[in-house]
Amino acid sequence: MKHYTKLVRPYLIWSLLIIVIPLLMIVIYSVTTGGNTLVNIQFTLDSFKKFAEPVYLQVFLKSLQMGLITVGFCFFIGYFLAYTICKFSEHAQNYMILLVTIPMWINTLLRTYAWIGILSDNGILNTILEKLGFSSISFMYTDFAVTLGMVSDFLPFMVIPIYTSLSKIDDSLIEAAHDLGANNIQTFFKVTFKLSIPGVVSGIITTFLLSVSTFVIPKLLGGGQYMLIGNLIESQFISVGNWNFGSAISVILAVVILVAITIMRKIDPEKTEDE
Amino acid sequence: MEERRIQKKHKTGSVLYIILCFLFLYLPILVTMIFSFNSSKSLTRFQGFSLTWYERLFTDNEIMGAVYVSISIALLATVISTILGTITAIGLSKSRKIIKEIIINVNNIPIMNPDIVTAIGLMILFSSLKIEKGYLTMLLAHVCFCTPYVITSVYPKVRNLDPALANAAMDLGATPFQALTKVILPMIKEGIFAGVLLAFTMSFDDFVVSYFITGNGVKNISIVVYNMTRRTNPTINALSTIVIVVIMITLVVVNIVPVLTKKRSKKNLELEKEGIFISKNERLKKYTGIISGIILIVVIVLTSYAGNKETLKIFNAGEYIDPDLITEFEKEYNCRVIYETFDSNESMYTKIMSGETYDIIVPSDYMIERLIKENRLAEIDWSRLSNRDNLNKNIMGMNFDSENKYSVPYFYGTVGILYDKTVVKEDDLKDGWNLLKNTRYKNNIYMYDSERDAFMIALKALGYSMNTDKKEEIDAAYNWLIEQRVTMNPVDVGDDVIDNMIAGNKALAVVYSGDAAYIMAENQNLEFFNPDEGTNEWFDCMVIMNSSEKMILAHKFIDFMLDVEHATANSSFVGYTSPVEGAYQNMLETDYKGISSYTPVMGNKNNEIFRYQTAETKGYFADLWTKIKAH
Repeated sequence: MKHYTKLVRPYLIWSLLIIVIPLLMIVIYSVTTGGNTLVNIQFTLDSFKKFAEPVYLQVFLKSLQMGLITVGFCFFIGYFLAYTICKFSEHAQNYMILLVTIPMWINTLLRTYAWIGILSDNGILNTILEKLGFSSISFMYTDFAVTLGMVSDFLPFMVIPIYTSLSKIDDSLIEAAHDLGANNIQTFFKVTFKLSIPGVVSGIITTFLLSVSTFVIPKLLGGGQYMLIGNLIESQFISVGNWNFGSAISVILAVVILVAITIMRKIDPEKTEDE
Repeated sequence: MEERRIQKKHKTGSVLYIILCFLFLYLPILVTMIFSFNSSKSLTRFQGFSLTWYERLFTDNEIMGAVYVSISIALLATVISTILGTITAIGLSKSRKIIKEIIINVNNIPIMNPDIVTAIGLMILFSSLKIEKGYLTMLLAHVCFCTPYVITSVYPKVRNLDPALANAAMDLGATPFQALTKVILPMIKEGIFAGVLLAFTMSFDDFVVSYFITGNGVKNISIVVYNMTRRTNPTINALSTIVIVVIMITLVVVNIVPVLTKKRSKKNLELEKEGIFISKNERLKKYTGIISGIILIVVIVLTSYAGNKETLKIFNAGEYIDPDLITEFEKEYNCRVIYETFDSNESMYTKIMSGETYDIIVPSDYMIERLIKENRLAEIDWSRLSNRDNLNKNIMGMNFDSENKYSVPYFYGTVGILYDKTVVKEDDLKDGWNLLKNTRYKNNIYMYDSERDAFMIALKALGYSMNTDKKEEIDAAYNWLIEQRVTMNPVDVGDDVIDNMIAGNKALAVVYSGDAAYIMAENQNLEFFNPDEGTNEWFDCMVIMNSSEKMILAHKFIDFMLDVEHATANSSFVGYTSPVEGAYQNMLETDYKGISSYTPVMGNKNNEIFRYQTAETKGYFADLWTKIKAH
């Protein structure tokens, strides 16, 4: 099969051009000044210093916080869902997993947009509340709306990998644990959960990645004053036009996510064995 | 017996939980589908069954164009990235360790990087290479993020292959190409199939990358939806319903076909046993036939789409034209209009700075002044505008372009406060702009999400000029806005203010006089006023970029918009005040009869027009604005 080694060359060149170079350019923009053209640039760390100002650090912390909350909800709801699905017959499992997958195929924007109709002040939820005799609540443009939107959009990304791990577990292992005297809770934590860690890690990484960097959901459900790190980047590139600062924030975001992924990977026993 | 009962109880709980979860996942989808059949525009109250939105959908050029872009890009990107990814994965398994590691790591970048970082990287790349943004850049970008997924699905399959297989084939006289197509590909087809599926979904669903790297009016479904969310438009619901149904059918087919083929292959096996042999080759040929058929169709559609009509590129604010007028103009002059929208003068300017060119743009006063100073505009040849006398002379010759050498008025008006008469006390109006800091209306305010307008309000409230470049005045305005943010908790909105105020969601909103007219026509409880401290008198004008090569057609478009009938239609659709005298009179008698804000209150001596800011002042404002937004 030595004949085929040449086959990697097109992709080697392609990935250099369209993956590596753009990243390098972001890095260059982040440490220079001189506007949006690379003609008269000068080295500076001003953009990073600027990010250290309390206002921006707060945006950053808020994004992390929202990201973690979303991951938390996705994890608890998602793990339990995957676990419950696993109890059914294989035939039923396939259909249920298909049902979990379908929303992933439908445009995030369309689903988020639908939440506006549900949550808005005169929306469906409030109409129901009023019919039940409660006073209406302002759901839109709050942390609640943004979290709800994120959890609903990203939940499948948590369920699928966890389900995959759980469904691989050999039933005889659990029986063995019972036979050796472990109760249900012990069996769950010492056997089932441990064996599902690869799925959990993968699910957490994906949902964290998505929720920390999103700018559409906060913009649509949180309003224009709702600022997460994704919105900050978007505004620097689209409306403010400060590409240097925008690049610096992107670099920071990318590094944070890289660190988070590395830490998560450490927890995963399968992956470390691999290496 | 006891145990079984427990198990059953367990099961009911499980079923309940699963139902709840699915309800949560499917609620937005169900709502979308139900309201696509609503007879009214409301997204919250169902008022009767109708198919209006489906009819609208199929006649809506923008949406149909977006559907075409989404599907064709997804198909092309899938085909390209599948081929590229598969051959790379095959080559990868036999490459030297170092190359293998480099490629695997580089390949992980687009998967592990947030979308937004990938997007801006590509945006910077295309801008600095001066590649015109549009269909091609979108396709390249999609191939960029789809290929890694194909490689990650195919590579494990290749790795599990027995290397002796290909060698055996070649020993038996197959060329390397034959060994590849006849031995290796069939063995890894499951991986390839998974890759195809992933690539197609990733591309079809993408918003973030497409949003940053698109141009030239090329929009996919996500971008259109994003632009439309500012104003309720149930046509999107009709579109999503169709998309959902198509996806469901596809998934069902995809999940049933393997079962069927399994049955069929069993049959084949039986046939083989009986000595009847269906060659694999034949099936392969069938697949290649299907794929090349798809590519052919795409290419044909692509070429017919491009056409060879003269094109005119227009860049205007969102929801700022009656779309029928564009269609009418295209028919009348047998040309194609590429119509793009922006959400603020600043984002328009950023786009132009990144190298995008247009024939006609519709910026506001201060931005026109800036474009004139930077030498980006062409002079208007007024003799070519047969409808020039229709224009209201009182709103011409403003300070940003005193002789109207470069600009032709499009709409004009003021900025003021729209308030709910049933909630806001008449007495409180005396506070002027400081009404927005009256804690009686805490949590009850929409602010307009625009840098210059926000600062205008604060500066006027403090009694300064809104064109100030004094740092201490700007800082004071900054503090005013921060304080307002802390004490009043306002919500920043764009065009979504329209639907929200029509629905009466909040008591106060900062709006343009034109939006106020449109909203007040729908909600009788509202009234509009311009604070005495002065406000922004604004003028949006059509200008021609000096890079334009379509001078004649551009002038024809401007003239077309000055026609009384067309201007009336436009003003009626948008709600803003027309500078075309006849259209203005028509509106006063029809749509906006008795609506005060349709006639902007100009002439308060405290009113000003925005002026061009120096780079330093602009940077200072932009910085503070980012901080306000981040607060």
